[in-house]
Amino acid sequence: MDNIWVKIGMAAVFVFMAWRLFPAAKHWLEHGPRGSSKEWLNVSILLAAVVLFVAFLMSVV
Amino acid sequence: MQKDVLQKTSPFPTTGDSALQTNKVLRNTYALLAATLIFSAVTAAISAWIDPPRMLALVATFGALGLIWFVLPKVQDSAAGIGVVFLFTGLLGFGLGPMLAHYASFPNGATTIATAMGGTGAIFLALSGYVLTTKKDFSFMGGFLFVGLLVVIGFMVVNIFLNIPAMSMMISAAIVLLMSGLILFDTSRIINGGETNYLRATTSMFLNILNLFTSLLHLLGIGNSD
Repeated sequence: MDNIWVKIGMAAVFVFMAWRLFPAAKHWLEHGPRGSSKEWLNVSILLAAVVLFVAFLMSVV
Repeated sequence: MQKDVLQKTSPFPTTGDSALQTNKVLRNTYALLAATLIFSAVTAAISAWIDPPRMLALVATFGALGLIWFVLPKVQDSAAGIGVVFLFTGLLGFGLGPMLAHYASFPNGATTIATAMGGTGAIFLALSGYVLTTKKDFSFMGGFLFVGLLVVIGFMVVNIFLNIPAMSMMISAAIVLLMSGLILFDTSRIINGGETNYLRATTSMFLNILNLFTSLLHLLGIGNSD
């Protein structure tokens, strides 16, 4: 991706994407339900399993 | 990273939604998801075979983004929305072609791509299956996931110009985790009644799977020392 204008174009698209996402992020932060420590632990275990699985795949390839 | 979640439905489970309606949305979502994944795979294969100019693949990807941002919200409650979803997934698949051709050119390329596909499928099935069987509500993750997306997008913008391989790897790893979280989040919203439009649900799930696949492919490509 050597062309500076391609880079600028892609950066502009990502910035627009972030601008579109920002209201939803604000809404969920202000009004979204709060999880308990047990629920977050549950999510952490699931994501840790994903990490281990990906590490396994990287070792296999 | 093209997830747009400006959704008009309530983000929280609504009382009164029948189990029948929820099951209908779930069934339609997974049926359409399966069809669009196949269609996208076909367009990706065609693109990888013809090896179009990189600019054309970028235009296809940007066109898909334009569809999801500006067209889908207008047709998501009509039958025309199904055509838009197929067009959207087809364009994204076409945009993936040059990347697949690039990885296929490596000595172990075909194995890397196949492993990324299998890994993506396994992660999606495992996480979705967990939510469908336990019926747990993961809507509490919403704020964390959307802020995470904003942070990752920020790093992606910076890395477009800095082009640091280590940062690129960290971004891919973060996207794998975020997409895994989003699979839990979106599946939970469907079965708990927070999402009632199967077209929106399908596009969200498709983006989760696509971003998970591309990031996993990038990580495996790094792991493959060839």
